[in-house]
Amino acid sequence: MSFMGYYRPDGSVGTRNYVLVLPGGLVSTKICEFVRGVKTIITADSGSGRTKRDRETIARTLVGLGRNPNVAAVIIHGIHLGAGYPELRPENLANQIAVSGKPVELIASSEYKDAMKVIERGIRVARQLVQDASRLQREKADDSHLAIAVKCGRSDTTSGIAGNPVMGYFFDYIVRKGGLAFFGENTEIIGAEHLLAKRAINEEVGRQIIEVARATEERAKKCGEDIRAINPVPANIAGGISTLEEKSLGAIAKAGSSVIKGVLRYAERPAERGLYFVDNWMTQQSIFLGYTAAGATLTFYQLGGGGFLEDTLLSPNLGIVAPVIWTTANIYAYQAARESIDFYSGTVIEGKETIEEAGERLGELVRQVASGMFTKTETLKYQDPVQIYLQDAPF
Amino acid sequence: MISKRAIVLNIKDNVAVAVENIQKGEMVNLEVVKGNKFSIQAIEDVPFGFKIALADIPKGGEVIKHGEVMGSANSSIKAGSLVHVHNVQGRRAQKETEKGEGL
Repeated sequence: MSFMGYYRPDGSVGTRNYVLVLPGGLVSTKICEFVRGVKTIITADSGSGRTKRDRETIARTLVGLGRNPNVAAVIIHGIHLGAGYPELRPENLANQIAVSGKPVELIASSEYKDAMKVIERGIRVARQLVQDASRLQREKADDSHLAIAVKCGRSDTTSGIAGNPVMGYFFDYIVRKGGLAFFGENTEIIGAEHLLAKRAINEEVGRQIIEVARATEERAKKCGEDIRAINPVPANIAGGISTLEEKSLGAIAKAGSSVIKGVLRYAERPAERGLYFVDNWMTQQSIFLGYTAAGATLTFYQLGGGGFLEDTLLSPNLGIVAPVIWTTANIYAYQAARESIDFYSGTVIEGKETIEEAGERLGELVRQVASGMFTKTETLKYQDPVQIYLQDAPF
Repeated sequence: MISKRAIVLNIKDNVAVAVENIQKGEMVNLEVVKGNKFSIQAIEDVPFGFKIALADIPKGGEVIKHGEVMGSANSSIKAGSLVHVHNVQGRRAQKETEKGEGL
């Protein structure tokens, strides 16, 4: 099977064809408003007052987003970037992105000190890059070129019975075909980490998986609050999930049953294809950015919907440069938010389809979206602010 | 008599997930993944997506779902009753008490 994608100079294949302008903030937002087909991020994580470890995470995120196969070209400017820390210097970021062979335009601080002039210059450069990008034609690419990632949210018991297993079936297919696949959510493996560790490619990776769960559990124990008041979140409990372990046991099914190649840091690009666990945090404003910075070109939000409230207008453009396919196996969520949810797998619960049949149907949708069809939420322009997954206290 | 559906995800499980709203007194047909069907009578309401106990579970006993331990019973749970946060609690990531042990 195959899709129609954009081939990049490094051999990767994108499902979208954006120009990206970094870092996020006023200047980049204005360039995006002026020129179509340009993306940026909106984040409070500038790097100022952050530890080296956290500044490196911010840099890795920006560089990774620039290197994403869905990005045709990148503009980097020096306004509001990183308060002068070496990791975040625009030249460093531009050089690292340029390794991918795609056009990277640096609007150097030495030349353009005035934000108003950077906006003007940025608009001119962006117009040229967008027109250049529009010359590219989609070409046939086999499924091994797909790079997918999943988050499950608002999880309820339909997630564990059908939503996640159907996703897992598709993840197994992509991994078998030589594609790249990411899953994560540290807290949501507690109680199921032993099952994941058994699937690790070697002892070291197995040890790392157990360590992620242990470290997260330690933090939870020390935070002074009862984990039951934090996670499972109230929406999970309203949907029938009673304990963190139950949530985790249902959650891990979303990544299938393939061998786990490694444990990655947030926004870390893996060297090989295969299935990876990402050390990350489940919140939607953070996790999708980390996945696309690691190279995901198509993402999934597998929704439970327990205690589904009035927010049927589901968040669009969480991955910034990659579409989100919203799926659910909860009939009530699907009926309430049909305008936002792309795929329904509650058919498995109703006995109308097997997990395999629903998984194949999901594959068909993926090929359409990978080839350019908008997801339902992708029709909206709004983009949530993003939150880079940082570890340390600010100073 | 009306009967409703619930799914048993693993043959080792002692709870099933209701996939219809079950009323007290109704018979529940249990569809077991890779196992044989059986039925049980609900002794209280079990809404869509919530769990019903398949056997009596003593206080402190393991609650099993997906073939794995998902928590412990806070109180003795009768077969056919609703299993949720009022009678089951997780064992993991619990706040440390003054003795340095989990709750």
